[in-house]
Amino acid sequence: MAAPLVLVVLAAVTVRAALYRSSLAVFIAERVEVASPLNAWKRVVEGLALLDLGVSPYSGAIFHETPLIIYLFHFLIEYAELVFMITDVLTAVALYLAIQDFNKVVFKKQKLLIELDKYAPDVAELIQTPMEMHYIPLKVALFYLLNPYTVMSCVAKSTCAINNSVIAFFILATIKGSAFLSAVFLALATYQSLYPLTLFAPALLYLLQRQFIPVKLKSKSFWLYTMQYASLYLCSLVVIICLSFFLLNSWDFIPSVYGFILSVPDLTPNIGLFWYFFAEMFEHFSLFFVCVFQINVFFYTIPLAIKLKEHPVFFMFVQLAIISIFKSYPTLGDVALYMAFLPVWSHLYRFLRNIFILSCVLIFCSFLFPVLWHLWIYAGSANSNFYYAITLTFNIGQILLISDYFYAFLRREFYLTHGLHLTRQDGTEAMLVLK
Amino acid sequence: FQDQAEQFFRSGHTNNWAVLVCTSRFWFNYRHVANTLSVYRSVKRLGIPDSHIVLMLADDMACNPRNPKPATVFSHKNMELNVYGDDVEVDYRSYEVTVENFLRVLTGRIPPSTPRSKRLLSDDRSNILIYMTGHGGNGFLKFQDSEEITNVELADAFEQMWQKRRYNELLFIIDTCQGASMYERFYSPNIMALASSQVGEDSLSHQPDLGIGVHLMDRYTFYVLEFLEEIHPASQTNMNDLFQVCPKSLCVSTPGHRTDLFQRDPQKVLITDFFGSVRKVEITRETLSLDRDVAGFESKFPEEELATEPLKYAEQLPVAQIIHQKPKQKDWHPPGGFILGLWALIIMVFFKTYGIKHMKHVF
Repeated sequence: MAAPLVLVVLAAVTVRAALYRSSLAVFIAERVEVASPLNAWKRVVEGLALLDLGVSPYSGAIFHETPLIIYLFHFLIEYAELVFMITDVLTAVALYLAIQDFNKVVFKKQKLLIELDKYAPDVAELIQTPMEMHYIPLKVALFYLLNPYTVMSCVAKSTCAINNSVIAFFILATIKGSAFLSAVFLALATYQSLYPLTLFAPALLYLLQRQFIPVKLKSKSFWLYTMQYASLYLCSLVVIICLSFFLLNSWDFIPSVYGFILSVPDLTPNIGLFWYFFAEMFEHFSLFFVCVFQINVFFYTIPLAIKLKEHPVFFMFVQLAIISIFKSYPTLGDVALYMAFLPVWSHLYRFLRNIFILSCVLIFCSFLFPVLWHLWIYAGSANSNFYYAITLTFNIGQILLISDYFYAFLRREFYLTHGLHLTRQDGTEAMLVLK
Repeated sequence: FQDQAEQFFRSGHTNNWAVLVCTSRFWFNYRHVANTLSVYRSVKRLGIPDSHIVLMLADDMACNPRNPKPATVFSHKNMELNVYGDDVEVDYRSYEVTVENFLRVLTGRIPPSTPRSKRLLSDDRSNILIYMTGHGGNGFLKFQDSEEITNVELADAFEQMWQKRRYNELLFIIDTCQGASMYERFYSPNIMALASSQVGEDSLSHQPDLGIGVHLMDRYTFYVLEFLEEIHPASQTNMNDLFQVCPKSLCVSTPGHRTDLFQRDPQKVLITDFFGSVRKVEITRETLSLDRDVAGFESKFPEEELATEPLKYAEQLPVAQIIHQKPKQKDWHPPGGFILGLWALIIMVFFKTYGIKHMKHVF
């Protein structure tokens, strides 16, 4: 499978290189959908320039990257385009290897459950076969590399690509079973943007499953492993934060990075939900609503953990999607990351109810974003409501997509254990709904 | 006769300018526009041409839809005096009257595209009259209901004018509530200031006209206008008379003035030095013949020194050098401790994952 992957990688690199050399690069780099105040390339350059002038880059509200990014780009700033292309390729390769391993795990588990007779007799058509699963890793890499969202993110040189790559390595480490590496990468991802903290739960569930430790609250081994993993994670996070202190000998980066992510002071429009609300809000209420909005991101972890504890990788997918919808400064790069996983659940296609309309919504909204932006900012004949409407529609489309996949997943699991033809008590055919 | 001749040359100015500012808008501030137009009328009547007057009116009362007598602005009730005649030239109108524009006019920092009529092209032999009216308070004057100019800003603007030699002498008259606070902070030489009320007092308006429905003038400017109507270009009335205008009995507020920065004695300063544009004319009964070899004229300098160097453009900024400069070395480097720590961590993670046995490949 290496050869097709190499071909895909080459194609992706060509597309990106072509776009870098064209005049679209500048246009795309300024678009708010791909460059948010957290990860715009302009701001990285500004921060490094400030550093050259002898001023801390965190003075003033321009630069919100972590010190490790400063260190990375201090030496690599002339090769920035190459760095971003390599990052994308690394992400795709990491996802490819992760999904390859994951498929093996899924297949093994399926085989075990069939032998244990846990499946109903008439579900043969629902079971995944190696034949159909053979091309999934390649499709995942393809989906990530050639997704227009990723390409635009890469051309805009947004550091979201680096965040995506760290999360991809984290997923690879988790699926391979190495708790230490997974904790380290999760700490790096959390260090850069706060929200991957919620990925702690699915990673923990996956590693527990791998070690065959049942998730029972009274079990001692469960708590022991959880403590181990949590301490690995927290220690690496603390170490990384302390190391960043030594870069500039100041703790300035903490309010600039984490304070900025949590308190959302910059209300430049983006594809998220925060900016419009907070632009219209009275000061008196803004603290309350900031807390509500931020809790919304973290809130779904516990219920999802309870429901999806047998399926941690799906949980991870849903959690990634929730992060990229509800985070304070989302960009299209975040959306591209979870969309790369869609081929993994392609066997759910027959249970998806709204996939056509949702894909239409997402595609139309993607085209309408620049149109309404132009209409608002340049032509002056629209206003922020128009742009926010498209943002809302896009986010609703994403939310419905995720809940559709969630429904399809749970429905398939139900059918697997209860058989395809569900009957009610009186023998008529029953329909499964998600309440 | 000798005295008169001396006085003729004493004031030292050769041209006159006037900057007349009304800072209030809305119909009920009719009187401020009438104030400004009254002073404009007097100043024009006494000889200052429109090209030397910068008139700033924040609102248009003559063509205001609420004006029952359109195209007129009266300063006396019963429509005795229409100060908005046929030849009023307003330079800054409506929303152009802002603190920024006012300060730019005074200091001369105007964008190159500004027309001449909007510029104060004064020089170091100009006497400038600055008249301001509107709503004010202790230390500030309100412009257009949305911004303010403070007495400190005004004083600094005048100092800029002095340093740029933009005036010879300056007369500053202000008719607002607590107007004296506006001239408290002046520190540049050759400024004389008058105000309609002291700090803590309000300047009051004069007469309402029942036909038009608003107050037509402020008291202080009303009496100043009455005083100025008596002045003609040859008047010898001096500033002390102007200081007496509008005593407390008539004005209710106490007008103030400030002359400590002024070098001449106010007794010797003519009203027309500021309000008029008196051209200095020397009448001579002799004929002067201007021949090529004027007898008695000797060149004081030898020929060589008179020949000036050819003027050339001074190299001020080596632009060509700057453009083609190599990018300068980055001055900042990450501290050694950080690099060491980071790479130590990375190596530790690497070996923890892949086992110590790989270390033997390194060494």
